[in-house]
Amino acid sequence: MIEISNLAKKFAVENPKKLSDQEKKDHRLKGRFFHSVQDVSFYCESGEVLGLLGPNGAGKTTTLRMLSTALTPDSGEIIINGTNVVTKPVVARQMIGFLSGSTGLYGRLTGRENIAYFGQLHGMSEEQIDAKISELADILDMHTFLDRRSENFSTGMKQKTAIARAVVHDPKVVILDEPTTGLDIMAAQTVLDFIRRLKDQGVPVIFSTHHLDEVAELCDRVTVIHHGKTHFSDSFDAFKAQAEGSLHKSFMHVINQGA
Amino acid sequence: MWKVMLKEIKELLRDRKTLFFMVALPILVFPLLIGVVMFFAGQAVDKAENKVLDYAVVGAQYAPALVEDLAASDLFNQVMIDEGEDIATFVKSEQADFVLVIPDNFSEDALQSGQIELSLYLNDAGLNMVRRRLDKIVDVYAERSQQKAFASLELDESQQQALIEPIVIKKVDVADKRENWGEKIGGMIPYFIFMLCLQGAMIPATDLGAGEKERGTLETLLISPIERHKLVLGKFLTIALAGATSALITVSSMAVWGLVISQGMAIKMVSEFMSAINAIDFVLMFLMLVPVVAIFSAVLLSLSIYARSFKEAQGYMTPLVFAVIVPVMLAMLPGVELKGGWAWVPLTNVALAIKELIKGTMDYFQLFAIFSSTAVIAGALLYFCVFWFNKEKVLFR
Repeated sequence: MIEISNLAKKFAVENPKKLSDQEKKDHRLKGRFFHSVQDVSFYCESGEVLGLLGPNGAGKTTTLRMLSTALTPDSGEIIINGTNVVTKPVVARQMIGFLSGSTGLYGRLTGRENIAYFGQLHGMSEEQIDAKISELADILDMHTFLDRRSENFSTGMKQKTAIARAVVHDPKVVILDEPTTGLDIMAAQTVLDFIRRLKDQGVPVIFSTHHLDEVAELCDRVTVIHHGKTHFSDSFDAFKAQAEGSLHKSFMHVINQGA
Repeated sequence: MWKVMLKEIKELLRDRKTLFFMVALPILVFPLLIGVVMFFAGQAVDKAENKVLDYAVVGAQYAPALVEDLAASDLFNQVMIDEGEDIATFVKSEQADFVLVIPDNFSEDALQSGQIELSLYLNDAGLNMVRRRLDKIVDVYAERSQQKAFASLELDESQQQALIEPIVIKKVDVADKRENWGEKIGGMIPYFIFMLCLQGAMIPATDLGAGEKERGTLETLLISPIERHKLVLGKFLTIALAGATSALITVSSMAVWGLVISQGMAIKMVSEFMSAINAIDFVLMFLMLVPVVAIFSAVLLSLSIYARSFKEAQGYMTPLVFAVIVPVMLAMLPGVELKGGWAWVPLTNVALAIKELIKGTMDYFQLFAIFSSTAVIAGALLYFCVFWFNKEKVLFR
């Protein structure tokens, strides 16, 4: 169970002259600060998949980075299974698995070493790591390339390795930032299958995406953020009912409603 | 922390480019380059020595014997110059390598003629052997004239000596050979060592900071449950180790090649000089380099993590090479010694101490100042590095 309430984050603008016209018009720019996320709230129960939607620059990545403890929120709360992420980030990190579309690997290490390194950082023993890697390699069909240097991997191999690395420590919640962006159809399917498997295991998943077909395929809940604020947060069916016809229309309806 | 360090070292050892710069370059390439330069320099000198020089003489009628001697030499080839032609232009247009003008008072009786002034026109900008070859021939005449004069004045040998050089200053150098050479080359050695430490640390530093950003691995690393200072320390130690290793390899390579060359060319002085510096001094030099390498590593890591890409990181680091020159230059200035305030100036004091150790005139009490000031600065920079690694503005630019 993850609960996020009234999250906010602002960034100092170092050189206001460098901002684009669009950014200057954005009402989130106040003085020397850009209030990227102003008020975001949503929650996700165990075994649920939550799709985080919103136009580019809406604050999705910033929200997920706060959720993953990479950024510290200015205000608001994030609670994972009763643990406050903001006040106890190191404890919370044990429970979080994170992956984004642009996540890379250490090219000079083999696939196995990449995964094992993060297992070690999570304090796992050699045996635990070995066992977990062979289990994940079975599931993700990685045996053929696991012991090769990852710099020569195809996109699909890289993504499989990145997935294995993200879940090597059996996280209690998995956060994915546009995990299918830039991937070919096969690699994207690997990610979607992986999300479904987590769902079956009862692990809550939060992922941001621009692909509404992925939302239709996997999500139980949908949250739409726009200009750093939650515009919609409810079940998938409620989202679908926002407009007749397609999910795209529902999305546009939610965005326009709040404007 | 050790996990981070081990992984970084493993990655570093698999990077051929880094290994090349750290190991192959100092061991093979530097000596090879120096060898090539020496080879071509030798060739150039050889060529200059064997080259037949074209020359012309003006006023040949005043010294027919001398002119004959010039013509008899295998290494000279006489060309003609028209009377009244401008000599400087003649030489400049490369019609001759040199022109010798003999005055009308040329004679072998110095007491009669007074000082004789031969004018030598030549282009002296490049390497040439004109003067040396000419002296060989002219000196015979000068000496003969001198002897003749001495004989007519009926001077004995000691009077002759006194006339040639009435007062002589005899230098008695109390500095031993080691101190003498230490002063001459001791200033350069710290500069080389500093540069090599910096160079050796630079490539891994780029990789460990900016490389994480460029490859997209930083975010995952930041959200793993390892405290930030341990992450920084692991990376810092790897960079420091790489810098120190690189310097150690280079210095050893220099020592070995120095010995090989001095043995091969039977230069006793070099091997004597090397053996005069005892083991403790070498160990001390290395120990002093530890905080220096720490300073470099902390600065490099801070710059590297701030940069968005390899390219940006290299852009920030290049000026550092020039910045390091300043404290070493200060150590080379006359009057700057390892005393008082200078013993507390970081980098400069280590450079001075290395020089003193090489000279064998080290004041070991100054080590306290050196280690304290360098360690304090290294510690402060490392602290800054950890602080820097916690700034969102730095990590997510």
